[in-house]
Amino acid sequence: MIAASLPIQRPEHARLLVVDARGNIRHQTRSNFIDLLRPGDLVIANDAATLPASLSGRHLPSGRPVEVRLAGRRSLSPDEVHRFSAVVFGAGDFHTRTEDRPRPPELAPGDQLALGPLCATVEALLNHPRLVSLRFDAPPDQIREGLARHGRPIQYSHISTPLALWDVWTPIAGPAVAFEPPSAGFALDWRALASIRARGVGFATITHAAGISSTGDAELDALLPFDEPYRIPESTALAVSRARAGRGRIIAIGTTVVRALEHAATFDGSVRAGEGLATQRICDTSRLRIVDAILTGIHEPGTSHYQLLRAFIDEATLRRVDQELNAHDYRTHEFGDSVFIERKTQAR
Amino acid sequence: MTNLTRLPLNPFTGLRAAITGGTSGLGLALVGELLTRGAQVAFVARRRDLVQRVSRQHRAAHGIVGDVSKKNDIHPIAIQIVGALGGLDVLVNNASDLGPVPLALLGDTECEDLERALATNVLGPFRLTKALLGALASSAREGRGAVVLNVSSDAAINPYPRWGAYGASKAALHHLSSIWNAELAGDGIHFLSLDPGDMDTPLHALAVPEADRSQLKRPETAARELADAIGRVLSDRRAAADARAQETIQETLHDSRQPAHPAS
Repeated sequence: MIAASLPIQRPEHARLLVVDARGNIRHQTRSNFIDLLRPGDLVIANDAATLPASLSGRHLPSGRPVEVRLAGRRSLSPDEVHRFSAVVFGAGDFHTRTEDRPRPPELAPGDQLALGPLCATVEALLNHPRLVSLRFDAPPDQIREGLARHGRPIQYSHISTPLALWDVWTPIAGPAVAFEPPSAGFALDWRALASIRARGVGFATITHAAGISSTGDAELDALLPFDEPYRIPESTALAVSRARAGRGRIIAIGTTVVRALEHAATFDGSVRAGEGLATQRICDTSRLRIVDAILTGIHEPGTSHYQLLRAFIDEATLRRVDQELNAHDYRTHEFGDSVFIERKTQAR
Repeated sequence: MTNLTRLPLNPFTGLRAAITGGTSGLGLALVGELLTRGAQVAFVARRRDLVQRVSRQHRAAHGIVGDVSKKNDIHPIAIQIVGALGGLDVLVNNASDLGPVPLALLGDTECEDLERALATNVLGPFRLTKALLGALASSAREGRGAVVLNVSSDAAINPYPRWGAYGASKAALHHLSSIWNAELAGDGIHFLSLDPGDMDTPLHALAVPEADRSQLKRPETAARELADAIGRVLSDRRAAADARAQETIQETLHDSRQPAHPAS
């Protein structure tokens, strides 16, 4: 597998590896993914826009430069933008691979960080020398302005040019609560949404504050995904019940949608509307109550996204998928190719 | 599920609205009008001192400093609008640039003046609307309704000499509105392009300094009329959404009963 190195959301030749419910694998062009949908199915995407969550600045006690990557918050409420969990890096920027970045200066509770127009205080270390809880002391409007104007999208060294927000916002992006783009949604543009509708397929959204995908630090990455707040509109919960009643499939666009829907799942196979905090990890032993299929990126073994796929297919099938992806040079990362995986046939 | 079927009498209660050019003229009047009707309001303007002044005047409103004619300002503005309001139901693209001041024949219009009018009156509304489409579409799916009001002018239709830059840019905006409206009807986003009439505003004073101000419409009057137009669309949309939701609930209840009572 190779890294997709250009920030193009819908490359004409983006590919899609399809795994059906019986474990059969085939290859197709991603732009035709709508052909996989059947009338009565419900497609659910994450409408979170991406916050420019990388903040450059200075650790005031030591005077040394830092890059702060905001990584999580506890609530989606417009008034609760004071507290974030964050990963702190030393000098430098995305051009250096995260695993090669210098460590930040030693951080202690009470330390102040000057981040452009914003000032943040380290409230606590979160069981790791570079994972902290940060507090911004300003009215919410001022914090939002500081983040919106000073922040840059979090990015990694596989893309060499600086990303702009329009590179990382999906076409359906709404509230900027994701720390990295819910990139499976890159596949959906407005034309695709019109085709989905024309096919008699439903479309709904949730909002899920997708966290960071990698810190380059194995110990930290083992803690991923962090807890992520989400909101499920009543209209979406209703659409799920309706699709299920009509034997339609629930098709999640991206791992964040799976995490939110399954976290909000009830025993009767519906989802609770409203806000929640997804804390669970989805893996081979997880039982999916809501989602029947997923469209997602090409995830590398070892990542939490990859672990999540084990809930959809068994180990042997997943290994065959990996072989096919490698043999056909699928492109990884957010601007890469995709897989469409239908959950193996089982009782719900 | 019952609160989906509740139809608020006032479509502005809890409505989340954003207005560009909100520190003077029609924009400022709209901030006051929508707040009075019970909406949550965010407004955008270029000058920080004026944004702060209006924020002091309307404490409930969220003031955002930004220039819609600048591409790099669009996403920061969108982040702040949706962040402050928790979503967006109504966008009013009101900020406008007159082109050359004093008004000039097209043959005497500097290219830069035309470019600035296009950047503010066409590219700005296009980019900001595009950046906010996701939020608006979510709002429409949730049955709240979604409206974009582009402030137009009779100069968009009539070829008034010396109004070339302004008229051509407003004509483009007017047509843009119609095409957006056709394309996004299925997504539930409704576009309005309305001419508020000749108002007693700073923009009009720049264009026609010799005008008899007593003959001009007060911006507060125009703001009321525009708010009424938005209200009519929202009421229609919400009534339709409620009817659909009611149908869905009936169907869902019906479907979920079937397996439980196979004999009936």
